[in-house]
Amino acid sequence: MQRLFNETQQIGPGRFMWANIAVVAIVSALLFRLWYVQIYRGDYYRQISENNRIQYIEVPAARGIVYDRNGQTVLGNRPYFDLVYVPQFVKDTDTTFKILSRLLHVPAPVFQRRLNMAKGLPKYLPVSLKRNLSLHEVAVIESNKIFLPGIDVAQAPRRDYKAVTPSHVVGYLGEISKKELVRQNDENPDNPYRAGDLIGKQGLEARWERYLRGDRGNRLIQVDAFGRQVDSLERASLNLPEVAAVPGSDLILTIDMELQVIAQEAFKGKNGAVVALDPRTGEILAMVSEPGYDPNLYQTGMSADKYRSLVANPYKPFLDKTTGGIFMPGSTWKAVVAVAGLEEGVINANKTIYCPGYYTLGDKTMKCHAHQGHGTVNLRKALMKSCDVYFYNLGVELGVDRIARYANELGMGQKLGVNLNMELPGLVPTTAWKRLTARVPWAAGETPSVAIGQGAVQTTPMQMAALYAEIGMEGKLFRPHLVRRIVNHVGETVLTEEPELIRTAKIRPETWRLVKEGLTAVVMDQEGTGKNARVEGQVVAGKTGSVQVVSLSRNSGKGQKDVSMQWREHAMFTAFSPAENPEIALAIVSEHDIVGGGGASAAPVAGKILNAFWRLKKDRARLAQAAQTPKAEERDVKRN
Amino acid sequence: MSSATESVARMPTGEIREKKAINTRILICLFMVLAVIGTINLWSGTAGGAIFYAQLRHLALGFVAFIVCAFFVHPRHLATYAYWLFGAICALLIAVLAIGRIGGGAQRWIDLGFIGMQPSEPAKVIVAIVTARFFAVAKQSQPYRIRDMWPLLAMLSILFLLIFTQPDLGTACLVAGVGVVQICFMRIDRRTIGAVVLIAMIAIPIVWVFFMYDYQKLRVINFLNPEYDVKGTGYNALQSLVAIGSGGLNGKGFMAGTQTQLSFLPKGHTDFVFSVFAEEHGFKGGALLFLLFGGIAYVALEIARQAKDMFSAQLAVGLAAFIFFEFVVNVGMVLRMFPIVGIPLPFFTYGGSILLTVCAALGMLVSIDRDNLGRFRRPASLGRKR
Repeated sequence: MQRLFNETQQIGPGRFMWANIAVVAIVSALLFRLWYVQIYRGDYYRQISENNRIQYIEVPAARGIVYDRNGQTVLGNRPYFDLVYVPQFVKDTDTTFKILSRLLHVPAPVFQRRLNMAKGLPKYLPVSLKRNLSLHEVAVIESNKIFLPGIDVAQAPRRDYKAVTPSHVVGYLGEISKKELVRQNDENPDNPYRAGDLIGKQGLEARWERYLRGDRGNRLIQVDAFGRQVDSLERASLNLPEVAAVPGSDLILTIDMELQVIAQEAFKGKNGAVVALDPRTGEILAMVSEPGYDPNLYQTGMSADKYRSLVANPYKPFLDKTTGGIFMPGSTWKAVVAVAGLEEGVINANKTIYCPGYYTLGDKTMKCHAHQGHGTVNLRKALMKSCDVYFYNLGVELGVDRIARYANELGMGQKLGVNLNMELPGLVPTTAWKRLTARVPWAAGETPSVAIGQGAVQTTPMQMAALYAEIGMEGKLFRPHLVRRIVNHVGETVLTEEPELIRTAKIRPETWRLVKEGLTAVVMDQEGTGKNARVEGQVVAGKTGSVQVVSLSRNSGKGQKDVSMQWREHAMFTAFSPAENPEIALAIVSEHDIVGGGGASAAPVAGKILNAFWRLKKDRARLAQAAQTPKAEERDVKRN
Repeated sequence: MSSATESVARMPTGEIREKKAINTRILICLFMVLAVIGTINLWSGTAGGAIFYAQLRHLALGFVAFIVCAFFVHPRHLATYAYWLFGAICALLIAVLAIGRIGGGAQRWIDLGFIGMQPSEPAKVIVAIVTARFFAVAKQSQPYRIRDMWPLLAMLSILFLLIFTQPDLGTACLVAGVGVVQICFMRIDRRTIGAVVLIAMIAIPIVWVFFMYDYQKLRVINFLNPEYDVKGTGYNALQSLVAIGSGGLNGKGFMAGTQTQLSFLPKGHTDFVFSVFAEEHGFKGGALLFLLFGGIAYVALEIARQAKDMFSAQLAVGLAAFIFFEFVVNVGMVLRMFPIVGIPLPFFTYGGSILLTVCAALGMLVSIDRDNLGRFRRPASLGRKR
């Protein structure tokens, strides 16, 4: 019987030895590889694994608050409510949108569009469906929440703009542009901006952006591979660090908000600018530029039509006219010409000139604003009545270059360094300037216009206020500024703006005395043009100004109301008070005023502001005194 | 007279009883430990759920297969019916190509009505049986040359091609590899070895250009450039490596592997299951696993060495190669030592076919060991030439 199978093994023992060696070698190789991956490179892979599961959530910082000089809030924050959609928790998008659409009366495709914009973002990141919900809408959402899994009402601090918030002072916020993003992040790489971040675009928000913005915080969360937040796994040992957002620093302004509001109300209905300064320090007490705009429009979103209408407005709502608007100073310029005349000895206190109501230079006749003439006028009367003929004569005698020398000495034609919004230097014309720009020699007939602040002369309302502050301070000019201190979120002062003396004009005291006397008469004398700016119990020195935009003949015999807007006069008034050691200087420029000239239209505004200034000062002094009495202290203790 | 009665007659009964079945005991211990660890690990890999319970059912079936193979199927049975088994598996593999279910980009499944199965898994064991049968019958005293082995090589080629066309290059290579290991245990003509090496060097580029599918090429490319295309084709491999590496020495703890539990490792129950284990149990756990699989290979080879006849020795060698290759290729792939191929890790990867196959293989090893010790009565009716 032949066996089918080989019944002996016949495999040499060497084969098994080699097989065992191979097994040991292969397992050792795997073990080495495992060691390499887990121990030698373990930290590297652990890092990747941590990066996989741990995600940053950024917590936006609240911007700094803006206070006025008395601690009153100019611009604060308040919580706004947003409707958000958290993709990881939403079960049925269509149903959810249908319910939301019914509750909020918003068509569902709007929500779908917002959601599509967020496509590709991780699922734990909420998507904003509707911003700035009303409290009613919040209540509606909250009470229907059971039907809306994944829909939430999120809260975020935003700017709380009030009706009285001075738009050009605080400015507005807008989404950062690509160019800004690159520039800002180059300058400040520690706290970078992200696309879509809000950044100050005008006013204080832009000027002090670095201090106001704060540092965003972050939170670490654990997510899974689908981008959903997962809390369950090793929550206790997770202990992820959290960096709280640091709110922005607060600004303490030089603005007196009560005065600011009064100035805004007094100037309501006019277009132009109001500036009130403290001549002793250069602190800006109030600044108004009209028309303004609603900064909230940027925060809540603005329709294209609304934006177009704002841009097309001939009164330029976005322009801060206090420093960016240029106007012929008109008769307020006469103070400069008077200083020049006195310093050059062309005139003195007693020199008189006869005003017949017109002035002839060569074949050109120029009228005084009082057509019947002022008669014989000296400097005091010329300023008081704003006699043009007196200054035509003086101007021609001085020549344009001598006027310009003193204007420059007083700081005109140069930027003041307010450093808020766009600032223009204005213009003081000279013969050299004319040759350089127009390439023709100065015509003698232009000089009389310059002497009464018209023609080529250009100033900003801020410069006009500064000029009168300087006259009031007898040659000392402090840089106008808006911020006193910047205080960070723990109360440390991080920046102080001290009064900065930027100019001491070399003018004789006698000259100041004479000019001030004339300016005081403008308001205080019964015949003065600026008597509408009087304040009970205080001396006010000032100067009116009415600037013809076109030649007088065009509008003759018509009231301002009958003239079309772009041909109406600008009404101006500049003042300081009291005449000696003034505490306030101000300039009012009402462009194309509908009421009338400087005396009729601008002076009453100044009167209201000055009245309020002195009343507020008295009230505050009384309050401070009351607070200092021992009884008051007891009362406060008891109350606490 | 059958050889079984012969061997019993040569040894006194008492001596047999005293000789302990040490290999069987170690094998059963390793089997139990791996089955328990693997199944529990699957619980973590799939966060509980249906797959875990399905695997428990597979494991129960696996035990049955193990018992049957260990105690009711004598190696001689396998030797006798080897070619029948070969025919059956070929039929199943052809059926897969004809009516098979597609899963994971390839046609690997066949529906048997009550259960789906992957015939390529049992093919790995059947190739060992067929090869063992060939050498058990050949009885050649000279070193083997190609022309001596052509029937065997033909059968191996048929299996290789049937599996390769599914397409499943990894399994096809593993099946061929098991046969090759078994051939290497015989004496081979030196010139033949040289010729084979030469042919392989010529053939590999040709296979690459003409026979490999794009996804297979991509896997090889990914293996060669690990950081290439992180979220694309290499994502699984990279994330599994991250999972393993982040486990460190001690691991993150059971059910606490962040890569696994947070789904960064996309399929914690598939061929990448080792990374779940290594992430949660660290280097210590991984090393233990290596020792367990190394232990199975060692014991299987020991059983082969002690085998009395050529078939048992060859079969044990083939089974050792099968289990060890499964382990080495899978772990090597997960550790990025090899390209990504669809080789499951025994006891760890979810799947009935592979679990049943491995259980049956272990059962066969026990059956061989019992036969070696003379505890398994050889069926008298088998082993004669017809």
